[in-house]
Amino acid sequence: MMRTFRIMLKNEMKLSLRDMNMVIFAICIPLVVLMILGVIYGNKPAFPDAEYTFLEQSFGALTTIAICAGGVMGLPLVVSNYRSRKILKRFKVTPVSPAVILAVQVVIYMIYSVASLILLYIVSAHFFGFRMGGSIFAFLGGYLLVMLSIFSIGMMVGGIAPNSQTASVIASLLYFPMLIFSGATLPYEAMPGALQKIADILPLTQGIKILKATSLGLPIENTFVPMIVMVVLAVICIGVSLCFFKWE
Amino acid sequence: MNEIISVKRLSKSYGGLSAVQDLNLSVMQGTIFGLLGANGAGKSTTIECMLGTKKPDTGRVSILGMNPFRQRKQLFENVGVQFQEANYQDKVTVVELCQVTQSLYRHAADYEELLKKFGISHKAKSMVKELSGGQRQKLFIVLALIPQPKVVFLDELTTGLDAKARREVWKILSDLKGKGLTIFLTSHFMDKVEALCDTICILRKGKAVFYGTVKEAVADSPYDKFEDAYLWYSDEEVNDDENI
Ligand SMILES: Nc1ncnc2c1ncn2[C@@H]1O[C@H](COP(=O)(O)OP(=O)(O)OP(=O)(O)O)[C@@H](O)[C@H]1O
Ligand SMILES: [Mg+2]
Repeated sequence: MMRTFRIMLKNEMKLSLRDMNMVIFAICIPLVVLMILGVIYGNKPAFPDAEYTFLEQSFGALTTIAICAGGVMGLPLVVSNYRSRKILKRFKVTPVSPAVILAVQVVIYMIYSVASLILLYIVSAHFFGFRMGGSIFAFLGGYLLVMLSIFSIGMMVGGIAPNSQTASVIASLLYFPMLIFSGATLPYEAMPGALQKIADILPLTQGIKILKATSLGLPIENTFVPMIVMVVLAVICIGVSLCFFKWE
Repeated sequence: MNEIISVKRLSKSYGGLSAVQDLNLSVMQGTIFGLLGANGAGKSTTIECMLGTKKPDTGRVSILGMNPFRQRKQLFENVGVQFQEANYQDKVTVVELCQVTQSLYRHAADYEELLKKFGISHKAKSMVKELSGGQRQKLFIVLALIPQPKVVFLDELTTGLDAKARREVWKILSDLKGKGLTIFLTSHFMDKVEALCDTICILRKGKAVFYGTVKEAVADSPYDKFEDAYLWYSDEEVNDDENI
């Protein structure tokens, strides 16, 4: 079981790297957005008299771009693609369990996300004077929770979408609004009030609130609602994707 | 001898079309069973219902004494499968596909040896999609043998292979049979079927029209040659005319 997982992971990681999509969407894009924000806002404070810079305020949001790319684009597309190419059908006549197949893909996109996080940290600390205001462990805990939750959406879409066209339509409908309107690229604070209200419905907006609070060292009490949202979402989506997993 | 595969009253229809009807099969250990029939007769549907990749409408299937739906993990430790279509990831190489397949089983065979045996070890580093049709077919037979199975299912195993390769593949299979492997196959090459299959079942429009040995098939038909007898059994038009 562990050996199956390890070898499949190595193999699927190689295939994913050959594909290059994730390198662009999960590794390059977040860095580009960071550079743009850094160049525009530099070391300016987030608002007059703020104790943190605009860039520090945006850091948490930027780290979710890779989560979003992997979780709601990469993950559902690869799973539904494997289903329509009947690769899952071949796995069905072997002893492997669907949980292992899903776990391998989840770990691959986790690797991309964490790689993106590390790169973002290095670049922003080095070039834009970024300092983590809160506890690094609280931030990482929040990061894992958000990742789990967003990935579970992708797992559900990939696990139950009837075909790869449907999966890619659903993935795009989730991905682009999340990327743009939840504050991952366009800063939430720069949005007009009406748009903020719409953004609040998106699960990633809630996730970003957790990451902001933990990275800036803001009071943790404000993040209880977002945390509950994340946990409930993860439980529902993981449950659905495992119960209704379709090989074909 | 042990019964390795048992199929009882299997039926499967797609919408209105009845693809398999009331089929009964029994395969003994160490024998080669040939499921024959024209294109669209229902061979692949039968195999897929037996393996659980399609859900039969009615009927009971038992392989190695196990139910392919309820005991999937345990059963497929000991079963090798080659589907009619080859399914693989877009950019995967031969070695990668073999390594992953090997990792799925507790008692897997050495894939390098199998690749050598089938004459495709020089292609190990190539992408699967860049193989020729015949090489790819050989690869998927290798994948079916990697689990060191007690029984293998081979759907159209030699279509696309040249005459020499066909002979080699059949030779390998009869050797494996000698070692106790049970083989369930479909094929359109009647000379090889005649030489190798212990039992055959001929399907016509999803119904078994003959079940027995090749010798019996010839004896029960008006012909002396198996190929003619097979065509007589499986030919839809001839038989339909007779029914009128
Ligand atoms: N998924 C499906 N949906 C609807 N009809 C199907 C499906 N799969 C097969 N059929 C139909 O069922 C019948 C039996 O098909 P099957 O693939 O079992 O034939 P076969 O004997 O394997 O033929 P071949 O020699 O061409 O491989 C055919 O008429 C086919 O059109
Ligand atoms: Mg077929």
